[in-house]
Amino acid sequence: MDQAVRELSYAQAIQEAMAIALESDERVFLMGEDIGVYGGAFQVTGDLVERFGADRVIDTPISELGGAGVAVGAAVTGLRPIFEFQFSDFATLAMEQIVNQAAKMRYMLGGAVSVPVVMRFPAGSGTGAAAQHSQSLEAWLGHVPGLKVIQPATPYDVKGMLLAAVADPDPVMIFEHKLLYKTKGPVPEGYYTVPIGKAEIRREGRDLTIVATSIMVHKALEAAKTLEAEGIDVEVVDLRTIRPMDKETVIESVKKTSRLLCVYEGVKTLGVGAEVSAMIAESEAFDFLDAPIVRLGGAETPIPYNPELEKATVPQVPDILAAVRSLATGSR
Amino acid sequence: MPVEVILPKVDMDMATGRISRWYVDEGAAVKKGDLLFEIETDKAAMEIDAPASGTIRDITGKEGIDIAVGEAVAWIYAEGEAGKPAKDVVAEAKPVQNLAPAAPASVATASAFSPALAPVKAVAPSMPLNGTRATPLARRLAAEAGLALETIAGSGPKGRVMRKDVESAMTAPKREVKAALWPDQIISRPPASSQPRPAPQRSAGAAPLNFAWLRQGEGRPIVLIHGFGADLNSWRPMLAAGPVDAPLLALDLPAHGGSPRHTPADLDAIAADVEATLASLDLGPILLVGHSFGGAVAATVAARGHADVRALALIAPAGLGPEINGAFLQGFVRAKSEASLMPWLRQLVAAEQVLSKPFVNATLAQAADSELRTAQGEISDRFFADGTQTFDIRGLLAALRIPVRVIVGANDRIIPASQSQGLPGEVALHVFPATGHMPQVERREQVLKILLEMARA
Repeated sequence: MDQAVRELSYAQAIQEAMAIALESDERVFLMGEDIGVYGGAFQVTGDLVERFGADRVIDTPISELGGAGVAVGAAVTGLRPIFEFQFSDFATLAMEQIVNQAAKMRYMLGGAVSVPVVMRFPAGSGTGAAAQHSQSLEAWLGHVPGLKVIQPATPYDVKGMLLAAVADPDPVMIFEHKLLYKTKGPVPEGYYTVPIGKAEIRREGRDLTIVATSIMVHKALEAAKTLEAEGIDVEVVDLRTIRPMDKETVIESVKKTSRLLCVYEGVKTLGVGAEVSAMIAESEAFDFLDAPIVRLGGAETPIPYNPELEKATVPQVPDILAAVRSLATGSR
Repeated sequence: MPVEVILPKVDMDMATGRISRWYVDEGAAVKKGDLLFEIETDKAAMEIDAPASGTIRDITGKEGIDIAVGEAVAWIYAEGEAGKPAKDVVAEAKPVQNLAPAAPASVATASAFSPALAPVKAVAPSMPLNGTRATPLARRLAAEAGLALETIAGSGPKGRVMRKDVESAMTAPKREVKAALWPDQIISRPPASSQPRPAPQRSAGAAPLNFAWLRQGEGRPIVLIHGFGADLNSWRPMLAAGPVDAPLLALDLPAHGGSPRHTPADLDAIAADVEATLASLDLGPILLVGHSFGGAVAATVAARGHADVRALALIAPAGLGPEINGAFLQGFVRAKSEASLMPWLRQLVAAEQVLSKPFVNATLAQAADSELRTAQGEISDRFFADGTQTFDIRGLLAALRIPVRVIVGANDRIIPASQSQGLPGEVALHVFPATGHMPQVERREQVLKILLEMARA
């Protein structure tokens, strides 16, 4: 099949993936608050309700616990629900269904059932949505065996990983950074998948490895371009999946560069970068480290409403530049 | 390993203490838990028990003087354990071992510790014996290169040793490296040839060669002669493979390392240089070890009988047959960049993973010394003209009446392993499978073991 490549936005790529899933598999349906006529809080579902009907693009009442419960139950019966949260922050309301039901059922019933539910979480700061609508809670769910947790960073990846998630027999949680929705990139037409659990080297480099997630991949790449002019050759690893984590790619990269910087938007303490750091310290890559491992993560504070303060609480390109320079020159 | 008895911390803010009284004498047999000594601080007096059973020796903690907390005050030797305690070793060249925190068993236990103070005990011994700051990578590279970490100046924060510091220590001018590495050994030995050497000169008679003591120890000295194009530092990786208890001296051949850069006329001329160097050191009986071209030199020295060689070990020796990889010799001498050098270095070994970065960098640093490589090119032309070994040591080996062992790699691409066939019956032959021209690097543990066995025999 001829798969022409177009420039699509991240949001369009998600919508296209969901349309392909709806078209090709009658077990697939969408659920979420205001995803029908309104088109979704971030206009990701768009006109899918017109194309596939209100039976397959279902508006739910304002109850995340209820909606998630219906989705998990439907998945147990063999359907393939894709459930959208308006904001990832509202995962807190649905924790029982996600953590105690979806993640546990296959295990507790001895493999007699699986829970092929996909949950989509618009996440992150930068939209002036304040403390209850700006968090990055992926590490919370990454802590739960039984879930798969992914953070695609490009339109290409989000389409391929969403389709991989729909095909996956287990619950997959997708964290989509809100500032990524409008970013554009090449996306082939038609069906393809990008594997869950495999990191991607976005830029090869000699001097230092940045392991980044989601929007931080783009900030790391921007920093790498500046640093290249300074003679510092940075490798950027897009982690893509935080559970199960692709340890091998990170270990091999650190063995090559001898330096590791983790950049992630979630709160620094006990976050994704903390896990990557500890994993490297325990691995064979330890004997290759020529500098301390450094994390750049979110500040230890609720996200402020004030836009300048909001920016200051998450890593920005100048923070990455400063961290890399101090590491690469051996002054840290 | 003898167990260390330290001055324990018995008070939260105690930095030093005094031993008011020893209850045992030097050489006494003690049982674990026996009372050893009493310490006094401003606030308390405390009786300290033996942390292990054995013989107490090297009591250095004298009564009535201030001693820092955590300092060793004596050592307890297990039955049959002999020799000086590991302190010298610690100060020497095994950074990897130094890293290991002292086992809890080596802490003197104070029977009178209150439970509240008990955790403090763990503080002193959990500190690394070696206080050098270094990155994990620097520690590993230094260990592989046989460099003592504490002698390398660290350029990182608070003097942290990083990869680049280890690499520059590897490639520093020879004399500086030597002085930095083994100050005690250099100073404690007769100065005959450790004095600053005259600039390159042509010598009519025997000229003393550059040398370094790579290890000190008890027993018969082992003297090491490197191969063509290398220098005495090329032995260091092997020394990192295990503990070495014998004194170990390495020489630089003429026109190699820090030795005078003349082109000797023949093997006898080089042997005379070696003999002059050994005579100046008054070593007594030795085990002589040579690698490749150095093997031919070692065999010649042994056969001439001027030096007191009691055993001979030849690693991938030259002089057993006519054929040698001439392309390698020419390419190696000419290579100036990493790109042109690496293909030749890979031919040296069976698996290129053993070529460490410091080794490559050290070789590159030599390649940058065009005067050195020019002199070596002359040696190559003289001794390996047209890819042929122009000398033969088989006759020498047949006449020797000392133990001789030949160690080769089955996959040697420089000198074919088949040349070690047909040696005299008394000569022992070790053939390592999947090994190239550098058994002392590729099979460092086994080769070191063989050499130490020979030195002890």
